[in-house]
Amino acid sequence: MILNRIFFVSLISCLALLTGCWDRKEMDDLALVLASGVDLTDEGQVEITLQIALPTGIPSSLQSSGKAANPIVVLSAAGKDSIDAFDQLQQQMSRRINLGHRGVIVIGEKYARQGFDRILDTLLRSSESRYNSYIVTTYGTTAKEILNSPYQLELIPAIGINKLQYNDYSLSIQIDKFIDALSSFDKEPVTGAIRVTKHGSKQQGFILDKAAVYRSNKLVGFLSGDELKAFRLLTRKFDGIHLTTQMEPPTKKQKGTISVQMIKAETNIHTELKNGKPEVSIYFKAVAKVLSNDTNMDLSKTINRVEERFSEDCHKAIMGMLSRTQKKFKADIVGIGREFHIQHPYVWKKIKNDWNMRYPEISIQLITDFRIERVGRTQAPAQLQEN
Amino acid sequence: MIRKQGIPGKIKQKHKELEYTTEVNLSDNLDENKAALQQAFSNCDDLVVRDLHIFGVLPCVTAYLDVLVDDTLWDNGLLAPLMLPEKIESDNPAQLIEQIKNKLGSVAKPEIASNLKEIVQRIVKGDVILFIKSSSQALRFSIKDQLHRQLEEPSTEAVIRGPQIGFIEKLHINMALIRQRIRTPYLKMEKLSVGSISRADVSIIYIENKAPQTVIDDVKQRLAGIDMESILESGYIEELISDHPYSPFPVIQATQRPDLVSASLIEGKVALLVDGSPFALIMPITLWFGFQTVEDYYMNFIFATMLRWLRYLFAFLAFALPSIFVAITTFHQEMIPTSLTLSLAAAREVVPFPAMVETLIMEITFEALREAGVRLPRPVGQTISIVGALVIGQAAVQAGIISAPIIIIVSLTGIASFLIPHPGMSQAFSLLRFPMVICAGTFGLFGVSAGMIAILIHLTNLHSFGVPYLTPLAPFNRSGLMDVLIRAPWQIMHKRQNKR
Repeated sequence: MILNRIFFVSLISCLALLTGCWDRKEMDDLALVLASGVDLTDEGQVEITLQIALPTGIPSSLQSSGKAANPIVVLSAAGKDSIDAFDQLQQQMSRRINLGHRGVIVIGEKYARQGFDRILDTLLRSSESRYNSYIVTTYGTTAKEILNSPYQLELIPAIGINKLQYNDYSLSIQIDKFIDALSSFDKEPVTGAIRVTKHGSKQQGFILDKAAVYRSNKLVGFLSGDELKAFRLLTRKFDGIHLTTQMEPPTKKQKGTISVQMIKAETNIHTELKNGKPEVSIYFKAVAKVLSNDTNMDLSKTINRVEERFSEDCHKAIMGMLSRTQKKFKADIVGIGREFHIQHPYVWKKIKNDWNMRYPEISIQLITDFRIERVGRTQAPAQLQEN
Repeated sequence: MIRKQGIPGKIKQKHKELEYTTEVNLSDNLDENKAALQQAFSNCDDLVVRDLHIFGVLPCVTAYLDVLVDDTLWDNGLLAPLMLPEKIESDNPAQLIEQIKNKLGSVAKPEIASNLKEIVQRIVKGDVILFIKSSSQALRFSIKDQLHRQLEEPSTEAVIRGPQIGFIEKLHINMALIRQRIRTPYLKMEKLSVGSISRADVSIIYIENKAPQTVIDDVKQRLAGIDMESILESGYIEELISDHPYSPFPVIQATQRPDLVSASLIEGKVALLVDGSPFALIMPITLWFGFQTVEDYYMNFIFATMLRWLRYLFAFLAFALPSIFVAITTFHQEMIPTSLTLSLAAAREVVPFPAMVETLIMEITFEALREAGVRLPRPVGQTISIVGALVIGQAAVQAGIISAPIIIIVSLTGIASFLIPHPGMSQAFSLLRFPMVICAGTFGLFGVSAGMIAILIHLTNLHSFGVPYLTPLAPFNRSGLMDVLIRAPWQIMHKRQNKR
């Protein structure tokens, strides 16, 4: 009985051990890709750029004595499609390309304008790609240049891009959201847009201050400044948004501005069908706190005026943004179609195929309601006390 | 439930000869008795056989083992009164014996023995035998020399709060330690002898009406089934009566603490004390018993609950941490946060071995260091720990043979295994991490989960004297969990015990 059992156990362990560790990949045999970029070459090929971490270049207590090596290596290769390009890259590398830690995917502007389809499948199919990596589009440059530009604050530039997106300082879109918008009729995708900055003569870096707007799978334009803020407010990505308004004409002493920080923003989109045409009314409600007051106003008495002014500003910015997406981009990036889909599911079925055509024509009503909850001070500002 | 206590036939026959089995009655001839005794104890130079005349006139023979007898008691308590001249009241042997017994009173608990086998067994235990002329009965006196050490706190189960006393190697002192705590006639202590050459006294202790009769009978039956020449430590019995001697998990708890034994008895468990061993055995136990200490019940219940969870957590780490580390770093790198991956990869950069081999090397080294530390005399033991920590840890990392994270993992696992209070349980968990590491190195997290499932299946199959090993978790018993998931305050636990 016991002999039988021993025989059985040894058979099982032979089965287990003879196959070997076939899926094993030691960490020092991996090329950890932290960011990848896609560009279109002049010959119409796909050019893949990988930013790969070099563990030896990462300073640790053991290697502190030696001179600091570069912690990254950036490689590019062009091919017929992305797999072909990856193959060419792999042939230069002694370590296996591992996409498990890819936090950022950079899409070159040229490539984006030409259309997305050729790399989409590679993004979706590989089990190594993660759905929570961020996707950004370049503005006025190529992905290769972005990935080659150094970044002072982080050891590895890709981690810099990743953190910029993670902290929501600008519009940040993860690949699952992007693909969701890309694959549905009722919404158009947007991504953050990145461009190279030059500090002084040599120092290079990048900045994420725009949003790239897509129509179906093609890049159609960029949103920036107030329009980007309005878009973020409307889609509730309001973390860290500051608004500034001119309350009084500037004097010698004061600029006459008030700045607020958003605490809360709510958007209710109500859709109706009138005479077979969709009509949309958007109710936007925001709550903010005052950050600075460079005017002669005592906010404890005149808060209503300030609220009204901000409400007008928001109305203006949001309407401006919406009309731009309607007239210029013809892309429903706010997701009005999705609200319509939810509120009128049966009508949607009939119009979903030409929603793209209908969106620029629909009339949009906007009501804004802006409240300031915290003045932020217990006393009047010093310049008021002076008077 | 009851298993056969098998021992190969050859040994059985051999020790049958050795065993002194002659059920011979004593003769009424002094010389014959003397000769029989001397034959039984041939080559035993510590056997003293002396002719003497008690009461000045009556020829007698005493026999005892010199080394076991208390000399002062023998001289003053026994010999002195017997050697005084006195008139012999009757020639009838029975009346004579009665007279001697009266003379000595209760000094040495005189008792009658008439069978050579009994006498031999008694001498071995330290009794003095007095053969009387023309009597086929002999008297025996128990004046054992009480060789034992001082009562002191058990070093393996030290507590900060609680009685600072532990069992010693003397059975009757250990029994007294329990009697002192549970003062009731319901506390039963039944004595048995186990072992054919060295007859070890074993005491079965339980509280009547609290301990289930089935368990008591089961214990007795298994003890009766033991067929061994000698029982030198309770560890023999633990293995011989265990339900699952082939499992790494202990199904019987060994402890040196009388308060733990008493508490277990009150909970309705059965305890065994073995003469010559300072370790009492408690049965039946569950897995959770290995994670509880007596001190849990002496301190604030909130803190005790925290300590329990700390132990559960570290017990999990003790057997799973190295394997999870190996699995994740060799199969599932994407599960580690990016910055951690980079520093782990940087540490691995110069290391020549795969992570699994590295882990196994360090785990084996750690176990070796631990064993060396236990065996070596205390002053040298410290050197070992310094050599182990500094030389092996620091130098191996600097030489690039082992990566630093592995050192962290292995030392954490080592500390974790010391957090499990029951040594047997701790051994089980430390042992299981080796197969787990191999599972992890071959199959990744799939192997780890398969290994864990295998261990769980094994645990659910274990029984300790009829009690499933995972009670009260499986079979589920909500009120029982009060003493497993938390250490409930006494007011609540007391109610629960009374209900039962």
